[in-house]
Order: sequence, then C-alpha cells, then structure tokens
Amino acid sequence: MGERGLRVATGDATLARYAGLISRNFPEIEEVIPADDSLLLVLRRGEAVSADLCAALAAPPAAAPLMSGILHEIAVEYGGAAGPDLPALAERAGMDASAFIQRHAAVEYTVAFLGFQPGFPYLHGLPDALHAPRRASPRVRVAAGSVAIGGAYGGIYPAGGPGGWHIIGRTAAVLFDPARDAPALLMPGDRVRFVPR
Amino acid sequence: MIEVLRAGLCDLVMDPGRPGWGALGVPAGGAADPAALAAANRMVGNDAAAAGLEITLSGPTLRFPAGGVAALTGARFAAVRSSGAAAAWNETLVLAAGETLSLGQAQDGCRCWLALRGGLAVPRVMGSRSTLLPAGFGGHLGRALQAGDALPCEPGVGEVRLLRAHPPSGERDAPLRVVTGPQAGLFDDAGLAAFFGSPYRVAPASDRRGLRLRGAAVTHAQLELPSQGVLPGAVQVPPDGLPIILGWDGPVTGGYPVIAGVIAADMPRLAQLRPGEAVRFVTIELEAARARRAGLWEIEELG
Repeated sequence: MGERGLRVATGDATLARYAGLISRNFPEIEEVIPADDSLLLVLRRGEAVSADLCAALAAPPAAAPLMSGILHEIAVEYGGAAGPDLPALAERAGMDASAFIQRHAAVEYTVAFLGFQPGFPYLHGLPDALHAPRRASPRVRVAAGSVAIGGAYGGIYPAGGPGGWHIIGRTAAVLFDPARDAPALLMPGDRVRFVPR
Repeated sequence: MIEVLRAGLCDLVMDPGRPGWGALGVPAGGAADPAALAAANRMVGNDAAAAGLEITLSGPTLRFPAGGVAALTGARFAAVRSSGAAAAWNETLVLAAGETLSLGQAQDGCRCWLALRGGLAVPRVMGSRSTLLPAGFGGHLGRALQAGDALPCEPGVGEVRLLRAHPPSGERDAPLRVVTGPQAGLFDDAGLAAFFGSPYRVAPASDRRGLRLRGAAVTHAQLELPSQGVLPGAVQVPPDGLPIILGWDGPVTGGYPVIAGVIAADMPRLAQLRPGEAVRFVTIELEAARARRAGLWEIEELG
C-alpha cells in the first residue's frame, strides 16, 4: 500500500493482533487500521519496520482480545420510511417482516472494524439467512442512523450520504461526534444488540 | 482576520492533518502537499503546522481589514492585490489595512496554499484544524469558505522577516512512481499492460477523496475481496476497470483490489494533477522508494 503501508494478514486474530500492537506503542508506527481479516500498519515517514515489530508480528497472537468489548443496546425503528428495504429483504429471506426483525434483533454482533465513513461499524454475526448482496445501484442519500445490511455484514450509517447497503431501520443513537472525547460510539471489539422499539 | 468577499471553487482550511484516527474510520487528511503549506507558514513566521488555506483550481477574493502578512506556495494562480499589482509566489507578502487579494484561475497545476501570520484560528477538532469535507467537520464549520465568512487569525509571534522560498525541482511530466499493491497478482497480463503501458487522464469527478482516471480499463479477476485498510495514493480498481487513486480524504478501508501505491515522494505531484491532465505510472522497488525523499524547500532572506 505504498512504502508506508504494510498489510498484515491476520485472519480470525485481527482484533487480538490489533489490541496487541496498539498496547505495545511501537515508535515507527503512526497508526494501525483494522479491517476484515487484515491490519494495515502505517509507518511514520522515513521509518522502517524494527526488529521488535517483526518479532511481534511473527509471534502467535494473544489468546483473547485485550479489549473492553462493551455491550451497546441500540434501539431501532424497523421498517416503514425508516427501513425501506425491509419488505424486499424479508421476502428474499423467505420470512415475513416481523420474523426478519426478530432474527436481526436476536443475536449479538461484534464490531469487526470501522470504515467507509467516520464511525461506520462493520458488524460480524449477521445470521446467514439475513445475508443479502449490496444494492445494484447505491442510493444517493441514506439517512443518518440507518441500520443496514451489506453482504454478510451489519452496519449503521453515522451520517447521511450515498450508500449501497440495504436499509432495514433507523436508530436515534449518535454513532459519531467529533466533539466527543470518544468520537466513535462503537469501537472495534465492542458488542451490539439491536432492540426493536 | 480575513474576510471572504468572493469564495473560490473549494477553499479549505488545512494544517498537517489528524493522523492516528484511522481505526475510527477517520482519514488523516490535511494539506495535500504539507511541505508546501509548511514553507508558506515559515515565510510568515508561523510554526510549520499552523492552519492556512488550500485553494483548488479557482481562488477566492480575500480582504484583510487590519492588514496582514501572507505567503502563497504551490501552483501559480492569477492573483492581484488592491493596487493592481500581481501577488508574488513563494515570498513574504505584507498587506496594508483594507487591502484585498484576489485569486483567479490556476495557471498551471491544481492547488496552492495561503499562509497568514499567526495561522487561522478555527477550533481544533480531533487534534487538527483541517477540514474533513466528506464528513463535514474541522476547518471553518466543516465546509469550504463562502462569501461573507470572516476568519480570525492567532496572534503572530516574533518579528516579521521578508523571506523567499525555493520549491524542490521536479519533472512535471514524469510518470508517477508506484510500488506494486497487495492485489497486483489478481490482475492478468492484459490488465497490467493497460495500467503500466497506457496513459490515463484525470476525470472531472476527482476531488480530495480520490482521483478518478479515464483510459484503458484494467481487467482483473472479479473477486469479492474482504475490506482492507488503504492509504492515500493507493490505486484501487473497481469492477469497471477504471483506476481510482485514493486522495487525502479518502476512506480508510476499501473492498476493491489495489494494484499499486503512489510513493510518498510523489504525493505532492498528485496534489497538482488537474482534470484532463495525462497520468502514467512506473514501478519502482520498495527499497528504492523508501530511500527516495520528497524534495526539500529552501528558504532565504529576501533582497
């Protein structure tokens, strides 16, 4: 990824590796960006990978993520104007809308990583039956707080803007506020439960 | 203090940016050529990290009600002062109370930077005064300047010296140097030949999020890729085969294969590519790229 970006394949251990690297505070690393099954290590300008960092990457990851894994309950208004794609997705999944909502709200999700927009969580744990490929043509405008499904991921749009995921509901929770001490409500490793209201 | 009498196409408050928030989905952003903004800051006696204006393609008309000290670096724009005299580039400008500085079209290149003594005093958001336009925060109210805006400056410190800057020399028409990307192996010979062998042009729909290119489609195995972390300069190839060079305010993760990455030393050139301009790519080895530093600005006393 250019000479400053080092992509490290991390598989299922992405969050454990991420937490491990962050806690070590390597001086040559400007930042670490977690993604699906890899980390991007961004080196400071002019820096190279140190022997210490090499050794840390070669060592087995910590057994469990060293993260707080806070559980967030996110209240969602499903369907209607708040979730225009719910009927089509429910039909695709072969169930009625209320069964779809029940399945979506029955499981606990894990925040795999944030990306796309500031504070946009990619959620692991979406039941297989609810997976749906992204929309063929993205919407020009998706409302802030839209609760969405994109492929095997769950997500929530922190801000309004274009979006290609299916929108099934909306939350009033503020996912990103740059003025807060912790700007992102959800952090990698956090857990999420959706609560229908 | 500056008053905006007429806004340019996209005048943004910028400083060196806010690295370190990538895990929250926030790109580092900041001036597209931080060395050029730093040089402008030095010519007005500021810390190199003070906030100035990044001006793109067509500039604003600014009034200095109490006068001020300013400097312009980067691409040359048509620029006149109240007196009718042309505003000089790469040197300290002393502006009288009530004077205006009017920037027109970029004559060559795409972006210039305007530093003001003291630096623009907009609030820091997540550690930086840079505007992150796609997310609508930072800078002046999270947006480009508009006519009627008034922006205060921090007080200047120390004496004003009249300085001149000499930008690093570079070949404008040389191909952009890239190192191969993590998914270069997914591209077939025809795709690689198209990417490295044919010229592209910068499409009009380009901005600080990404430079979209027009030209030969780069064919690749249409695989659904897991999202990966990406950086400014990464060249993504979406399904239509038309490459996108990610810009300073681009997303921090992406799901398209990355064929190449522009080396850090050539990122200032990326900042100057105009819509319609030709772009070619050439690979260099990773170790050679690491050894290659962006050219240095030299600053001397004027006169």
